[in-house]
Amino acid sequence: MNGLVLGGTYALLGIGLTLIFGLMNVVNFAHGEFYTLGAYAAFATLGLAGTHFVAAVLAAIACGVALGAVCELTLLRPLRAESIDTTMLVMIGVWITMQNGELLLWGGVAKSIPHPFPTAPLVLGPVSIAPLRVFVLVLAAGLIVASYLLIHKTQLGMAMRATFQDRDTAALMGVRIGRIHTATFAFGSGLAAAAGALLGPVFLVYPSMGDLAALKAFSVVILGGLGNLPGATLGGLLLGVAEELGAGYVSSGYRDAVGFVIIILVLLLRPAGLFAKQERIG
Amino acid sequence: MTRAGRVVPVLLALTLPLWLASPYFLHVVIMAGIFGILALSLNLLLGYTGQLSLGHAAFFGIGAYTSALLTLRLEWSFWLALPGAVAASGLAGWLIGRLALKLRGAYFVLVTISFAGVIALVSVNWMDVTNGPLGLPGVPAPALGPWSLRAKSVYYYLVLVAVLLAYLVCRRLVASRIGRAFVALRENEALAESVGVDVTHYLVLAAVVSAAMAGMAGSLYAHYTRFVSPEVFLFSYTVTMVIMVVAGGKGTLAGPLVGALIFTALPEALRAVTSWQWQMLAYGVLLVLLVFFLPRGIVPALAAWRARNAP
Amino acid sequence: MATRWIVLVALVLAAIATTPGPAQSQAPIKIGVIEPLSGPVAASGNYVRMGAEIARDWLNARGGVNGRKIDLVIEDNKSDPKEAASAAEKLIVRDRVPAIMGAWGSSMTLAAMPKLEEYGVPMVVETSSAASITKRGNPWIFRISPPSEMEALGLEQYVDKLGVKRADFLAVNTDWGRGAISAFGDMLKRRGAVVGAAEFMDQAATDMNAQLTKIKGTGGDTLFLTTAVEQITLVMKQAQEQRLARKIITTGGSSSPTQLVKQAGAAAEGSYHIVFFMPWFPEAMPDGKLARMFVDEWSKRGHPFEGLTEGFRGHDGIATLAEAIRVAGKDEPKAIRDALWKVSLVGVNGPIKFEKDGPAGKESGQSKPSIFVVQIKDGKVALPW
Repeated sequence: MNGLVLGGTYALLGIGLTLIFGLMNVVNFAHGEFYTLGAYAAFATLGLAGTHFVAAVLAAIACGVALGAVCELTLLRPLRAESIDTTMLVMIGVWITMQNGELLLWGGVAKSIPHPFPTAPLVLGPVSIAPLRVFVLVLAAGLIVASYLLIHKTQLGMAMRATFQDRDTAALMGVRIGRIHTATFAFGSGLAAAAGALLGPVFLVYPSMGDLAALKAFSVVILGGLGNLPGATLGGLLLGVAEELGAGYVSSGYRDAVGFVIIILVLLLRPAGLFAKQERIG
Repeated sequence: MTRAGRVVPVLLALTLPLWLASPYFLHVVIMAGIFGILALSLNLLLGYTGQLSLGHAAFFGIGAYTSALLTLRLEWSFWLALPGAVAASGLAGWLIGRLALKLRGAYFVLVTISFAGVIALVSVNWMDVTNGPLGLPGVPAPALGPWSLRAKSVYYYLVLVAVLLAYLVCRRLVASRIGRAFVALRENEALAESVGVDVTHYLVLAAVVSAAMAGMAGSLYAHYTRFVSPEVFLFSYTVTMVIMVVAGGKGTLAGPLVGALIFTALPEALRAVTSWQWQMLAYGVLLVLLVFFLPRGIVPALAAWRARNAP
Repeated sequence: MATRWIVLVALVLAAIATTPGPAQSQAPIKIGVIEPLSGPVAASGNYVRMGAEIARDWLNARGGVNGRKIDLVIEDNKSDPKEAASAAEKLIVRDRVPAIMGAWGSSMTLAAMPKLEEYGVPMVVETSSAASITKRGNPWIFRISPPSEMEALGLEQYVDKLGVKRADFLAVNTDWGRGAISAFGDMLKRRGAVVGAAEFMDQAATDMNAQLTKIKGTGGDTLFLTTAVEQITLVMKQAQEQRLARKIITTGGSSSPTQLVKQAGAAAEGSYHIVFFMPWFPEAMPDGKLARMFVDEWSKRGHPFEGLTEGFRGHDGIATLAEAIRVAGKDEPKAIRDALWKVSLVGVNGPIKFEKDGPAGKESGQSKPSIFVVQIKDGKVALPW
């Protein structure tokens, strides 16, 4: 059950990253920082201003989208013609800058986000789970569904899918690639921020929290296959559950190895990702 | 490059301990040398075959641990432990090369990250051999007969020889048929294969040489700091290597060395000019600016600038 | 063209190399400080720095040491041993500090230690707990924090009162966590208690449910918890969610029960904490007046109360070094080292006096700090007995 909660947020992180990776060909090292940004945004709204939890998540998404768009417009767009390593390096720079900016702004002391849910666990037969975690799971599921709808039912989503399949043809068909890139990056960053806002109250908020999240997100993307949305969702859930179960059987010191070993095995046996049928988005 | 352009840096490097009086600067230069070897080794994969290894710290760490364990537990001399470390890392590189045979691009990246992750966890958890998170203190400094090479000015020459060796290996490799095969592989793998380049063979070769070089750097690091702990596998070390290679100029021979020198000196320079709160922030901003203005790296930018200004 | 560039670079390098370090003479006495000010344990490092700054300001307000002001040169080790070694090198060579305090984590301290030997500069270790630090035969090391063995001995007298019969361990997978498990395990076995599961968690791990499930299966009565306060918070919350009914005892002294009350709420109720400073009851400290003053100064500066259990280390470290410099009569590394053997002062924690530890002839100094146990009762920190 806890594996599902973790998995849901891993999936949110993974979806954002897989879109950016698959569509823009950018290895986004700063992805975890948007997660951190979301968590601090939730801390500022929920913890300091005392808004509703849902409003805090929305505020976090807004922050993520806004900063993501700025990042794309000022840094990635001018460098679009450059190689993947160049954009990766610029995102490494953004990562270091954002993390240390947060350290300067909020200090290194971990913050706890207060939440309105009772701490006593709900007991449903053999499983017990905290109400907060149920709420997080529901919100995460809602956001994942919303992303699907955006990709599949809207014009923007159609343009994104078209760009992913064949950028040049899409451009010829009148898709404005630049705008699609901005939208994709902003959307992915928004999802990462949402994941941060959701997990912030479950865990704690501190400047280096994004590093681990980014690593998990990369694992999820590979598990699911590049640019594969259902793959990222399933990959996220799988990773969350596998870590939870794996630790029950392996020595806890090697717990994090479970994820790595799965990745290596998946790559060796199914190099295109666990759930890949063909390379397409959605 | 002009003749003077080649002679002057060599002369500067050879005489450095004579005019660089401060041991602190010498320390920075030694670290830059060790990272220079690492950057050269990463560049072989990233710059020439186009495969990004984000687990390069693993090879560095394997080298450091092997060398430290051989000298501490088996009491080998440094001169045997160093080749031992090179061999162990090369073996790991061969393993990764074979494993990742069919994988390219992002998938290769992930396998290397995962490999480094597993190795790091082993170093933390295999208490009997690695002493776990406590690390291995007291790694002996190398000695040549009765003379200890512990003094910085002496160790500097040891590192300098190693850098030179790594540089020459890279240059030989790149200029040879093998190097052309690497580049063919990077530019168009299908085409390379169709004209008879044995892609698998060359990729594994690149991985082995690159890993072995990183292992040499690891050994030099272990015997210089004389303390090895699981932190040698820190992801930030790999990131630092990537920064050095890409910012210096990937796919050039001088680029990684220039990058290593700049990005080892930069944090230390920032220590001098600004208080600790701003150091890493400034580092990040400077990196972003550098990529923004010199997206292809420093050495290619200099080359282009020189070509433009050529008479 | 290339030649011109190379000449320029050479000139710049030469200029840097020949720039003299700041002049010494009657200038302030410098003390180097190496702490993790960024990275995962930045909070703790910054608290220690704040404590050190209070000690400096107090000393200077009283006219300094030997008529000279104290100046702290603070460096960030970024929670990375390589950076700790570089920082030590920079402080000794460039800033010419005659003594250092640092470097928080044991691996950072161990990495900086060869530099101390190389240049002959003493370092007061304020936090690190690994036993090996004072056993290595480095005569420039003076530790005021307790290694885990000493901490376990400090708890021994309370084992019966606490009623520990079957204990499990959950610790961060670092030298500190591993050291604590073996030290406390040995002590408990000696007292006839049963030691059950010993589980580890990664430093950055946020979800410890799996380990807790395992621990739940052993049927013990006590859980010893060794990690940073952030992870303790998470473990307590998750233990409550899992309805793990255990007496929880945290070790290491940095655990800041106040922060736990604030962040873990009811989940922290009833837990015991080994601490080296009790800011809730400064009067109960060996030097009540000093402790009270320190707590007041801390809050006057607007530092968070929960940082006090870590911040006092900075004060005591600097106070120790200042005392040694006063005894030595000069700020020369070797003289300070010799004087450190003679210092006897009372810090916020209690009496500080170094005893010899490690191989004969090259002993390191180890002080025997005071150790206290507090309990969280009704959402407040209380003395358990």
